[in-house]
Amino acid sequence: MLWFERRVVGTLMSPALDADERSAVESYVSSTLQSMPEHLRAGVAAESILLGGRSWVEHRAGRLDEGRLRARVERWKTSKLDPVRQYVRLLHSLVLFAENELAADGT
Amino acid sequence: MKPPVETLDTDVLVVGSGAGGAVTAAALARAGRTVMVLEEGPWVDPDALEPFSLEEMVAKYRHGGSCAALGRPAIAYAEGRCVGGSTEINSGLYHRLPPELAEEWERDYRIDEFGSEALDRYADRIEEELGVSRLPGAPPASSAVLERGATKLGWRSVEFSRVFRYEPNGRAVKQTMARTLLPRAIEAGARVVADCRVSRLVRRGSRIVGASCDQTLPDGSSRPLVVRADHVFVCAGATQTPALLQRSGIRWNIGRGLKMHPTVKVAARFESPIDHGGIPMHRVTEFAPSLTIGGSASRRGHVALALADSDADYADALAHWEHVAVYYAAIRSEGSGRVIALPGFRSPLVTYQLTEGDMSRLARALVHLGEVLLAAGATELYPSVTGGIVARGPDDLVHWWNALTRNRANLMTVHLTSTVRIGENWARTGADSFGRIWGFDNLRVNDASLLPAAPGVNPQGPIMAVVARNTDQFLADA
Repeated sequence: MLWFERRVVGTLMSPALDADERSAVESYVSSTLQSMPEHLRAGVAAESILLGGRSWVEHRAGRLDEGRLRARVERWKTSKLDPVRQYVRLLHSLVLFAENELAADGT
Repeated sequence: MKPPVETLDTDVLVVGSGAGGAVTAAALARAGRTVMVLEEGPWVDPDALEPFSLEEMVAKYRHGGSCAALGRPAIAYAEGRCVGGSTEINSGLYHRLPPELAEEWERDYRIDEFGSEALDRYADRIEEELGVSRLPGAPPASSAVLERGATKLGWRSVEFSRVFRYEPNGRAVKQTMARTLLPRAIEAGARVVADCRVSRLVRRGSRIVGASCDQTLPDGSSRPLVVRADHVFVCAGATQTPALLQRSGIRWNIGRGLKMHPTVKVAARFESPIDHGGIPMHRVTEFAPSLTIGGSASRRGHVALALADSDADYADALAHWEHVAVYYAAIRSEGSGRVIALPGFRSPLVTYQLTEGDMSRLARALVHLGEVLLAAGATELYPSVTGGIVARGPDDLVHWWNALTRNRANLMTVHLTSTVRIGENWARTGADSFGRIWGFDNLRVNDASLLPAAPGVNPQGPIMAVVARNTDQFLADA
């Protein structure tokens, strides 16, 4: 999972999760991204680089604001640009499924 | 240092172990042929994992369930990748091919001996062997919802049969291929090799002489394997079969004309808790086969996904997820797609283009789905449309007509077919009436790829009947 994907997944996770649960969700998202068809994974990675450029610069400058990143991700959820909306939808779907299935399993 | 290449010999090589491969292998092994089945995925004990759980997705689904056909909109799809193929992960609902479709395909594609009478003979045999039955006793609440809603609206609904057997203690056991035909094929002498991906078929003129494979070993390493065979049946499903043929340089009408049942979903909230263990067996058939309404897997994870698809505030509904179940409406689509093997990539590119007519049918499907769920007593409906409003009464459904656009629809499917169509109409098909690939003496396809179109019903029954018919023909020819 790329740096920006990890950050986005972090913002999409429920704040109620403890460290172990966050790690389990992140691990599921990471393995699912890794097992995607290569061309789809390449597309997601390209979007991560494009969408994450600004956050990367802010991070390097020590100015990455989690709240601002969260607001950005929220905006992208309803973006009129289909690839942007689908990018967040994909990551959000994986996070949601893992969060809720892990909760259902009680693990 | 490269590991040595092991070479194995067999009379018949079957690539894939799902509804196509398992039926083929069992019939051939019972007829005394030497059969080897190669399956790309692992052998997973059918009882080891909770159906539709996260663990099952990781272990049994291709790409962990993250596949999509590209297009506007993209359509997510799911396929099995394990011994038993998609029969291990589907709902187990069973239908025969509607007779009018058999006749239409027979006529349009000039398929020999394809009448419903002929296919029904094979369906009889399969149903007897697997055990196709209705639920003993009353249906669960999630299924009764569909019957209740349809009755209130004066629409037809049916409880469909399933490929299930019921144990004396009442436990329902899905008769997947890993549980039924594959063990029986092994008993009859077939060999099943799991974790073995066929990279390409080896050609010599108009014959296939074998297959080059990579087998993953228990320690995670892989080794090359060559299987020499007199006859080859490719049964890897509607995306992987054409991809393998293309990788092997076989391209005539291969991978074109992909068909599917594009599907919209609704998360429906009810006053009372609803069961979440299985898939509802009722279907609303008022508009079938062009449009079918049914129920989906509704574990907590699925409920969360369906609620989130609407982009409405769903926190309260998710907090009461036991009251929420997921339902779908699937259409027969005019559109079509392609499967293209990309050089250097393991996975094929899958595309699908919906027509304007399809989009209109999907909007109608969504509204009808809403109508039946509200009639059944649902109090809130969350559509799989970004920005689609939560419907709490019939008046709200009016907004769904215009909400479902190419940029807003979140679609999925589990039924992919038609990438190597059969028939004597050479210009439109990739294989003859019995699945033999044009231009090859000993190469056959025997899976969902052969169906000329998506049948409008769960395709496992039609696939198995066509495959059994083709296998009989092969044995008769031999």
